[in-house]
Amino acid sequence: MKLLRLAVNNIRRTPMRAMLTGASVLIAAATLSVVLALDRGYAGAVRSELVDKTGVHLYITKENCPIEAASVVAQGGLSPLYVEQSLVAVAESTEGVAAALPFQLFAETTTDGSRTDIFMGITDAIRNVRPDWVIEKGGWFEDGDSVILGAQIAQIELAKVGDRLYSEKLDKEFKVAGILRKSYSQDDGIIFLPLATAQRLVKREGRLSAIAVKLNDVGRMQEVTTQLRGRISQDYSVIGAKELSEGVLGFFAATRMIMFVMVGVAFGVSVFGIVNTMLMVVMERRREIAYLKCVGARRADVLRLITLETLVICLLGGIGGILAGAAVTPMAGTLLRGTLVGYVPAGSIASPSADIALLSLSVAVVAGVVCALYPAWKAASIVPMEVLRNE
Amino acid sequence: MNKLISLENVSKRYRRGSEEVHALDGVSLDIAEGDLIAICGPSGSGKTTLLNIAGCMDHASRGVVRIRGEALDHGGERRLAEIRQSLIGFVFQQFFLIPTLTVEENVELPLLFSHHKADPQRTSALLERVGLAHRRRHLPGQLSGGEMQRVAVARSLINEPKVVLADEPTGNLDSRNSAAVVELFESLNRTGIAVVLVTHNPDLAARCRKVVHLEDGKVVA
Repeated sequence: MKLLRLAVNNIRRTPMRAMLTGASVLIAAATLSVVLALDRGYAGAVRSELVDKTGVHLYITKENCPIEAASVVAQGGLSPLYVEQSLVAVAESTEGVAAALPFQLFAETTTDGSRTDIFMGITDAIRNVRPDWVIEKGGWFEDGDSVILGAQIAQIELAKVGDRLYSEKLDKEFKVAGILRKSYSQDDGIIFLPLATAQRLVKREGRLSAIAVKLNDVGRMQEVTTQLRGRISQDYSVIGAKELSEGVLGFFAATRMIMFVMVGVAFGVSVFGIVNTMLMVVMERRREIAYLKCVGARRADVLRLITLETLVICLLGGIGGILAGAAVTPMAGTLLRGTLVGYVPAGSIASPSADIALLSLSVAVVAGVVCALYPAWKAASIVPMEVLRNE
Repeated sequence: MNKLISLENVSKRYRRGSEEVHALDGVSLDIAEGDLIAICGPSGSGKTTLLNIAGCMDHASRGVVRIRGEALDHGGERRLAEIRQSLIGFVFQQFFLIPTLTVEENVELPLLFSHHKADPQRTSALLERVGLAHRRRHLPGQLSGGEMQRVAVARSLINEPKVVLADEPTGNLDSRNSAAVVELFESLNRTGIAVVLVTHNPDLAARCRKVVHLEDGKVVA
């Protein structure tokens, strides 16, 4: 017989207790794997959307926090910050700049609060700056009242090219000129309209939310940024798309912290549960452990036995946890999407993976070993004579 | 006869709460190959303490314990464990069988700690010897008290000990099962294994070749 078999048999003697202890490990491991998947998924989605997919290298914004401004828009509003349109020419004439896209972003929420539409006023410079921005059906704006719909919004509205859309809040009817190819980015949910129309609707003629800049050579980003900063007023910022994504992730830091605190609490509860259970096991089996020592078990044997019992419970709980975590992660992603304040990427913000599962399992197992130490030491310290004499 | 275990003028004191207990006081005893010894005496006379010191489970406060002539000078845990594994088998009033292991697995349990490979033929022979070969796949919960004690006896023999120390082995059994267990010990003894029984039972003591009476930690007869 192997020590492992004896350990498994010992666990089977109190199945309910072992199951409850394993369940606490399961919850802790599942929480860890979900939080790690969301943490990585959100960061990946933000970087992918703001850096990899857009083709935008720099943004010219009003001095202050552009992410905060973006969050105002996301909540249904108009950022109080703006950039003068005259800066577009300055950007375009700067050496190393391939194209500059002026845009005006605003959102309108219906009176009952049930829906927020995000509008983006653009010029045809978008074709040069954003290679991923592709019209799949229809074409460019026909006049000031026409719009191009993101793939998702077109699907929700069941809109076709040529249809008319009415905005209750703006009290205006638009004609659908085109529908974008699905990009799995925020573009899918945006209603694009001519820049001038957007500026007129929010009464900000000649003013922009920001200017997106594409460079000829990304390797020269630092040099071009310095040049641009030198050519515009200090009231404006020139920030890299990567910097912007880091800023967005900074906004996520508080949520991230709360999530990891939850993991800590789950593991804390689990650790106390395991230690408590194993101490009870040792107390209940004192005479039996004393007997094992009578038949030749040494301290190390008893230490190994109790540690193995704890490990088996933690390993099974951990495996259950990563499976539960994998099942729950997509739902948790949807839940987080609904509660996030600020920038929410359009793609999936949950990214479960094998290494996350392995890490969660490892943490559960290591926690198990740590938890086993004290009860195992107590068991190994049993003096057979004292136990048999006094109990 | 070769001496297996010798206790020379052994005393044992220990504390129970605030009280100091003088469990043994200058006891000498030799256990040789083939001995069949009963240790008798009233409760608290030091019978179990004597058995535990002889079984290398406890140290004497004073005096010398020799194992095959070698004096144990408070040897380390490893050495004591080795002696217990190779020389001594234990049987207790409570059977200490693991409820989730089969009869066969319980018998083989001591091998786990002596790191010897289980020999199915030897296990079968032992179960045959205690009359439980047909119960090898049963769990302890499916056995009677007498059968459980016979499993415990088989388990005490798995490491091929030279001496079996039994503490009140019939204390939890009815007369029929007690008789079966006593016969088992006698048959073991006939094969040359020394058997030391701690008992309150005068009938059982009467069947032993040597009887040691203890009172207040001293040998009185």
